[in-house]
Amino acid sequence: MKLLIKNVKIVDPNSPHNKKKRDIFIKDGIIEKINRAVRIIGKDVEMIDAKGQHISPGWFDMKVNFCDPGYEYKEDLQNGLKVAANSGFTGVGIMPSTNPSIHNKSSIEYLINSAKGHAVHVFPFGAISVKRESKELAEMYDMHSSGAVAFTDDKNPIKESGLMLRALMYSKNFNGIVVSFPYDESLAHNGQMHEGIMSTSLGLKGIPSLSEEVMIIRDLNLAEYADARIHFTCVSTAHSVELIRQAKAKGLKVTADVCINNLILDDEYLHDFDSNFKFLPPLRSKDDITALKQGLKDGTIDVICSDHTPENIENKQCEFEHAANGSIGLETFFGLANNFLSDTLSTEELIQKIAINPRKLLNLAIPQINEGERANLTLFDTESEWTFTEKDILSKSKNTPYINWKMKGKALRTFNN
Amino acid sequence: MAGLSVKHLLGIKNINASDINLIFETAENFKEIINRPIKKVPSLRDITIANLFFENSTRTKLSFELAEKRLSADVLNFSASGSSVSKGETLVDTVNNILSMKVDMLVMRHPNPGAAVFLSKHISVNIINAGDGTHEHPTQALLDAFTIKEKLGELQGKKIAIIGDIMHSRVALSNIFCLKKIGAEVMVCGPTTLIPKYISSLGVEVSHNLREALEWCDVANMLRIQMERQDIKYFPSIREYIMQFGLTKAILDSLHKKILVLHPGPINRGVEITSDVADSSQSVILNQVENGVAIRMAVLYLLAGKIHNQD
Repeated sequence: MKLLIKNVKIVDPNSPHNKKKRDIFIKDGIIEKINRAVRIIGKDVEMIDAKGQHISPGWFDMKVNFCDPGYEYKEDLQNGLKVAANSGFTGVGIMPSTNPSIHNKSSIEYLINSAKGHAVHVFPFGAISVKRESKELAEMYDMHSSGAVAFTDDKNPIKESGLMLRALMYSKNFNGIVVSFPYDESLAHNGQMHEGIMSTSLGLKGIPSLSEEVMIIRDLNLAEYADARIHFTCVSTAHSVELIRQAKAKGLKVTADVCINNLILDDEYLHDFDSNFKFLPPLRSKDDITALKQGLKDGTIDVICSDHTPENIENKQCEFEHAANGSIGLETFFGLANNFLSDTLSTEELIQKIAINPRKLLNLAIPQINEGERANLTLFDTESEWTFTEKDILSKSKNTPYINWKMKGKALRTFNN
Repeated sequence: MAGLSVKHLLGIKNINASDINLIFETAENFKEIINRPIKKVPSLRDITIANLFFENSTRTKLSFELAEKRLSADVLNFSASGSSVSKGETLVDTVNNILSMKVDMLVMRHPNPGAAVFLSKHISVNIINAGDGTHEHPTQALLDAFTIKEKLGELQGKKIAIIGDIMHSRVALSNIFCLKKIGAEVMVCGPTTLIPKYISSLGVEVSHNLREALEWCDVANMLRIQMERQDIKYFPSIREYIMQFGLTKAILDSLHKKILVLHPGPINRGVEITSDVADSSQSVILNQVENGVAIRMAVLYLLAGKIHNQD
C-alpha cells in the first residue's frame, strides 16, 4: 500500500518536522519520505490533499470501556474498536470492569487476541484484586507477561490500605504500574453528585471532594513508602491537583489523568436531575475546572482520557438515584477538547496529552513522525465547526450529555499497521 | 385572573412569590367552603386524578384524596406495594399505563429525589409532587407557610426555625424555598451530622443549639427524625438526640415569648416534641392538617385551569 499525504502540518514534539508543512509518503506501513514536496506518481498511490489539516502520532485513550465480555448489549469489542478508529484513536487502554472481570491471563489474552489485526491496538488493564473485590491480589505477573499494561480495579477503589500497599510493592518486581481511582466510598456514602450548593438544593446526597483527596493522600503515602510508581485516574478536584503537584515536586513517581467531562461540565448541569450528567467522579465546581486546567497546563496532569462508558438506555433513563454513571466519550472527544481547551492547551500540548504522554507513562513505544518509522498516525482538522447529533454516534449505546453541542475540529483518518 | 406560572407543581424552587400568594388566596376561599355544611364544589367535575404513592403515606394521601373529592374530581388510587413496580416495571411504563386509562392529572409521591422532575420530561399531564425522596414536598411547605400566615398575619420578616433532621427532610428544603420567597427569615437547627454542609448557601442561618434557635424564632417547625432514610447512624441514640434537640414544655415555658409550634407529622411523641408541647395552645399541628386540604384544593384547582388552557 502506498500513500502520499500532501501539504499536511506535522504536530509531533518528538519529530524534527514538528510544526512544519510537509508531504509524507507511506509505503507498506512505513514512513518512507517526509519532505517539502514529495513527487511520487503511480496508479497504486493513494493521494490525500491535506491542505489546512494536521497530522500527529496516533491518539491514545487510556480509559475506555467496551463492556466485552459480559455486557455486549451495551458495547462489544469489535464495534468499540471501530468507534475508536473513527474518533481518531490508534490505541486504547481497556478497563477490567467486565463480567467476568479482566483479572487473569486468559481474560487478558481474550482481549488481545480478539483485537488482533485491528487498526486500533488494544492495551488491557488487568485487575489488582481477584474479581475486583478488593480482597486478594490477582495474578498480576501472569497478566503482565500476557500483555496487561497496568493494574486497576477501575472504579472499585481498593478499600484496604494494606492491599493497596501490597499491590504497589508486588508490581515493582516486574515494573508494573498501579492505577488508583481515588474515591473513599465511606465518605461519599450513597452520594449521587458533587457535594455543594447544587446538591443541597436538589436534596441529593453529595460526594465531597474530600472523598477523593483523602485517597490521594493515602495512596501517595503508600507509593512513597513502597518507592513505587503510581498513576491517579480521573482526578477531579482542585485540591487533588495541588496534592499531586506537591508530590511531583517532591520527586515521587506519580502521574495523573483527567477525564474530558470534568474539564468541561460542572455540577450546575444537574439542576433538573438529568442523568446524562451523572458521572463518577461527579461533575465538580467551576473552580475545580479552573484548577484542573491549570494542572494540565503546568504538567501536573499528564493525560486527558475519555472514560468512554457505554450504558444502555434503561440504565440511564430512570430515577436519578437508580441511573448509572458515565457517558460514551470517544465520538465527542476531540471536538470537545479542541473547542473547550483552546484557552489552556495549544494543539501541540493537546497532542502531548492524548498521544505521547499516555504511552510514555505506560512504558509503551511512542510513534514518531520521521522517515523509517512505522506509521501510527492521526490526520485531523482543528477548524471545522459541527454539531454533534445522535446520528454521529457509532457506539451501541447512546448515553451522552452532548447531543446538539457545538464541536470544533475532528479526526479525519487514522493510519496504523 | 392570572394563573400559575407553571404547568406542574414539582417543587417550590420552580414557582415564584406571586404563585405562592395566588395559591394562598385560592386556599382561603376553599377553606371557607369546606367549613360550610355542603363542603363540595363542582370545579373539577370530569377531571380524573391519579394518586400514585410509591412510598407510604397516610396524611398526605388522605389530604389529597379529600381535596380531590371536595372538588368533585374522579379519583384513582395507586400504591406501589403489590403492584407491577415490584415486578420490575419502570416508572415511566407504570405511569403511561395509568395515563392510557385517560387520567388528567397526577399526584405522585416517590422515594427518589427528582422523580417528579424526571417524570415531567416523559409525560404530558400535570404533575403535583407529593414528596420526592429528600428533595421537595411543596404542598407541605405551602400549608406550613399558610398556617403561619393565618396565625401571625404575615410572613414578611418573621423568623422560622426548622429543627431536626434537615439532611433527610424534603419538608425542610421546600420550607426554606417557600419562606425565603415570601420574605421570612429561616434558621435550621439540628445535629451537625444531619445538616448539609452547604445549607447556608440557601440563605439560611445555621444553629446546633435548640435554645439558641428557639430564642431567635417566632415559629418552630419541629421535624421528625427520618429513621427510614438513615441507612447509617448519624447520631449515637434517640436518647442522646432528645437530650439535645427534644422540645419540652419546660423549655417552651422558659422562653420570654410565645412561639408557634409546627410539626409536619407524623409526630414521634417524646422524641422531637413531648406530648404536652404537641397538645399545648402554642401547637398548631391540627390547623396544619386542616389547612392542608384547602391548600391542596387550591393547587389542584389552579393546575386544572391549565388543562383547559391547553385545549
